[in-house]
Amino acid sequence: MSRKSHMTRRKFLQYSAITGTGLIAVACGAQPTSPPSTPTPVLPPQATGAATAAATAAATKAATSPPAPGANLIGTLEGPTVLTDPAKIPSSFKEAPALAQLVKDGKLPAVKDRLPSEPMVVQPLKEVGKYGGTWRRGFTGPADAENVNRILSADKPLFWDFAGNKIMPSLARDWKVSDDGKTTTLFLRKGVKWSDGKPFTADDWVFWYEDIYLNKDITPTPHPDMTINGKPGVLKKVDDFTVAFEFPEANYLFEDLLAGSTFIGGGQSTRQSTGNAGGGYAPAQYLKQFHAKYAGAEQADKQAKDAKFDSWVTYFKNRIDYGLNPDLPTLGAWHTTQARNTSTFVLERNPYYWVVDSDGNQLPYMDKLQLTLAENLEVLNLRAIGGEYDWQERHTDMQKLPVFIENQQKGNYTVRLDPALNGSDATLHVSQTYSADAEIAKWLRTKEFRQALSMGINRDQLNETFWLGTGKPGNCLPDPSTPFSPGAEWNDKYAKYDANAANALLDKIGLNKKDGDGFRQRTDGKGKLSLDLITVGGQFVPFTKHAEMIREQWRKIGIDANVKELERSLAFQRSKNNENQIMFWANDGSEFLFLFPRHALPVDPAECHMGQAIADWYASGGSQGMEPKDADLRKALDLFRSASGKKRDERVKIAQDIWKLIAENLWTIGTVGRSPAFMGVRIVKNNMGNVPSRQLNAQHGRTPHASLVESVFFKS
Amino acid sequence: MLTYFARRLLLAVLTTFFISILSFAIIQLPPGDYIDTYIAQLSSSGSAISREEAEALRVQYGLDQPAPVQYLLWMNKIVRGDFGISLEWQRPVSEVIGERLWLTIIVSFAAVMFTWMVALPIGIFSAVKQYSFGDYLATFIGFIGIAIPNFMLGLILMYVGFKYFNMNVGGLFSAEYQSAPWSAAKIGDLMAHLPLPTLVLGFAGMAQLIRIMRANLLDELRKPYVVTARAKGLSEMQVILKYPVRAALNPFASTVGYLLPYVVSGSIIVSLVLGLPTVGPVLLKALIAQDMFLAGTIILLLGLLTVIGTLVSDVLLMWIEPRIRFQIR
Repeated sequence: MSRKSHMTRRKFLQYSAITGTGLIAVACGAQPTSPPSTPTPVLPPQATGAATAAATAAATKAATSPPAPGANLIGTLEGPTVLTDPAKIPSSFKEAPALAQLVKDGKLPAVKDRLPSEPMVVQPLKEVGKYGGTWRRGFTGPADAENVNRILSADKPLFWDFAGNKIMPSLARDWKVSDDGKTTTLFLRKGVKWSDGKPFTADDWVFWYEDIYLNKDITPTPHPDMTINGKPGVLKKVDDFTVAFEFPEANYLFEDLLAGSTFIGGGQSTRQSTGNAGGGYAPAQYLKQFHAKYAGAEQADKQAKDAKFDSWVTYFKNRIDYGLNPDLPTLGAWHTTQARNTSTFVLERNPYYWVVDSDGNQLPYMDKLQLTLAENLEVLNLRAIGGEYDWQERHTDMQKLPVFIENQQKGNYTVRLDPALNGSDATLHVSQTYSADAEIAKWLRTKEFRQALSMGINRDQLNETFWLGTGKPGNCLPDPSTPFSPGAEWNDKYAKYDANAANALLDKIGLNKKDGDGFRQRTDGKGKLSLDLITVGGQFVPFTKHAEMIREQWRKIGIDANVKELERSLAFQRSKNNENQIMFWANDGSEFLFLFPRHALPVDPAECHMGQAIADWYASGGSQGMEPKDADLRKALDLFRSASGKKRDERVKIAQDIWKLIAENLWTIGTVGRSPAFMGVRIVKNNMGNVPSRQLNAQHGRTPHASLVESVFFKS
Repeated sequence: MLTYFARRLLLAVLTTFFISILSFAIIQLPPGDYIDTYIAQLSSSGSAISREEAEALRVQYGLDQPAPVQYLLWMNKIVRGDFGISLEWQRPVSEVIGERLWLTIIVSFAAVMFTWMVALPIGIFSAVKQYSFGDYLATFIGFIGIAIPNFMLGLILMYVGFKYFNMNVGGLFSAEYQSAPWSAAKIGDLMAHLPLPTLVLGFAGMAQLIRIMRANLLDELRKPYVVTARAKGLSEMQVILKYPVRAALNPFASTVGYLLPYVVSGSIIVSLVLGLPTVGPVLLKALIAQDMFLAGTIILLLGLLTVIGTLVSDVLLMWIEPRIRFQIR
């Protein structure tokens, strides 16, 4: 009895702790759950000052009398550049000392023989660096593949400049889109070698296309990236160093896909890890031994069984994952030496890396990349505070900003904030296909209702309380600095707190009966109108607390709401079944509308919180799902569909028109965004060089790859 | 005697079978599957895959099959000693668990030893010296130990260690030894990291054990045979240790079976908070990620160990407790 009760008690504590992580927060005395009427900063006064001052550093620089600590947390966007002028290619090359020794011992070819005739040349941000050192980072386990995928993103065919606006060469030295838009040609760098020294050629692209993409066992269904309006495109080898993508219709968007974080343009590291098989090319010479077509189905299956895999396909997908298979030839700056599914993920410099700095030094500068497993985010953040990481922008929690700042000297690091470009971190996705309660469904589909809800939100209070003043209040539209923005004046549309206007609007649309507490009544006579706000805990920003504050704010416009925090998978499942009324989620990625539209428009069935049935309808070309009845939404979807076949200027114009429709209709209601909450709190040791004071924080920018971290180095 | 044993064994096998079904049901309970969780996870970390890629993955992992078929496929593998490949770790489940099993056993064993070595003497002391200052002190500490959830204690000690002793936080190894092969220095590093989790894990159990030992022993001390022993002139030490303490220990022996699963799973939340590379956090992560093979195997393993533990304690009781032996006959 005694021992038994001991065990159950322990278990009880454990489970109650699992279900209510809030316990810790409560026990530690976090802010109250029901928000006060005036903004209460959660920071000690001087730290709030720092954060707020940082947000408006330029404006208030002169006004603040005592210099607040860390007042320059947000710097100017900067980064290294890729030199495309052939005259800038250095004539001689240098290499890391360790590699020079290997060359001397005859174990490695000379550096000029390892580099292509047209290497990618990087002008480092500030200075030419020096070799050496291990870059220490934290990761959260095998599922955190993106942590390193992003760092190795130079293996994408094309990429962007450090500001994320202009396409730049990467693995391909150049590209060309035909006048009719049907053909996009990639010109590869001559003499690029895989990390095992074998040449990288157009045959590697053909192998991916014919034996991975067209193989029904590995890729059962065609991918939208490789089709235009449902019609498939083909990949053709032009010569050893030229490949062409040909489509039956104009596909001007394709060059953006090749540069974006997409199936076709994501690069080997990202798109062939964690079970995926995109990326456009693959090391044919190495992989053929695992492929049924070349090894024979029986032999391939036998190898898989010997390695304890079910079939050759699952084994093949394991073999093409750079993080799991150290033998796999790769093209990134560092090469796996200890796999991702262990306690330490280690990568070492790729001796055949095809990128040099402006002085002809082969990159990367740092010898090793070492990631230690953190069993939970608290441990990871504590280690960051303790100065155990050299550069960490991932998993660092913005809510801990005051502690990060406080320990800067002790940990010998500097905190930098990189605000993102997407409009809203906490976004109310209003379902257009919810149907369980006809009255609620009707209002969710009413434009004026959504406008009133939006005007009833006091975004400044949210920003001060939860973003420590570092975010920007507004609707869900992207930052005005991005090409797709229709202009700064659109970011505030229906996004200024105005309870009077909201009340007038609600009265006008027929919600004018109120009960004794001031809540508006349903029109079907079934009591007060009450909305469900669905949130998910444990994310980068505390959605549940946002929702609770918004619920309080909505009292002033007579709208009642219930906040329901659900487990993440359950919330997603309910979105899929069109069961959520309003779901809180970010709208990251929406700053580049055509590459990642799912958080702005209901077009992607993989994830859609504003109406799964409409996304199904859109993606299936009308054969499944539900046709939207909302004329404006229909117009936005038609515009979106037409964009792939339009040239860049027209496409940008279309995106602006779509954003105007979104700003007017608010299928997603933005609150506070353009903030550093997602991957924007960067902890960098003070002995590192070529560190940008602010880096591009956007999905297509593959943060931190836009800073070309292979050109970052240890000064001491 | 033999038939009793055979019956227990048969029951154990049956129970194991039901545990396997239950384990599988537990994994299937949450809505969606591993791929749904994967999509949600990607979405919250700022990246994504398309529906087509997701479907391909689902087919690859066999998640498109109906649940009973998935169960049979899983069982078919397990009876052949193959626990499958963890969906998340992409390694054989036996490797993922095996790697952490030894560390878990070391940590749990250290915690149990610490608990017993500290709690039993204190328990005896506070029973013998009932209502003394020492007893009140032990009671006070005991109640605090019971009242503070040990994950909370872990957080506090971790912060104190970081703030005042400049300890590196979390885990059982420093970064440089993390992937190093075993050596004297690595064992030294492990020893340096071990006290914190031992203390945290042991504290709550210790407090509980002190109370139980005290209560049991107090019952015994009042029995006539103790008075007889004293009257016969045995020394106080002998009087207490030889009979009442042994009798008071009986309940511990009977539940020793529960130690087995505990030693293997460790304390999940404490391991998580302290960042220990033990089986506990893997189980929690596997459940969250709906990594069915990994979670299923661990739950099955824990169930099996409970069954074995119960069997062992049945046999143990039969051996030390004559009354049970007589009943069986």
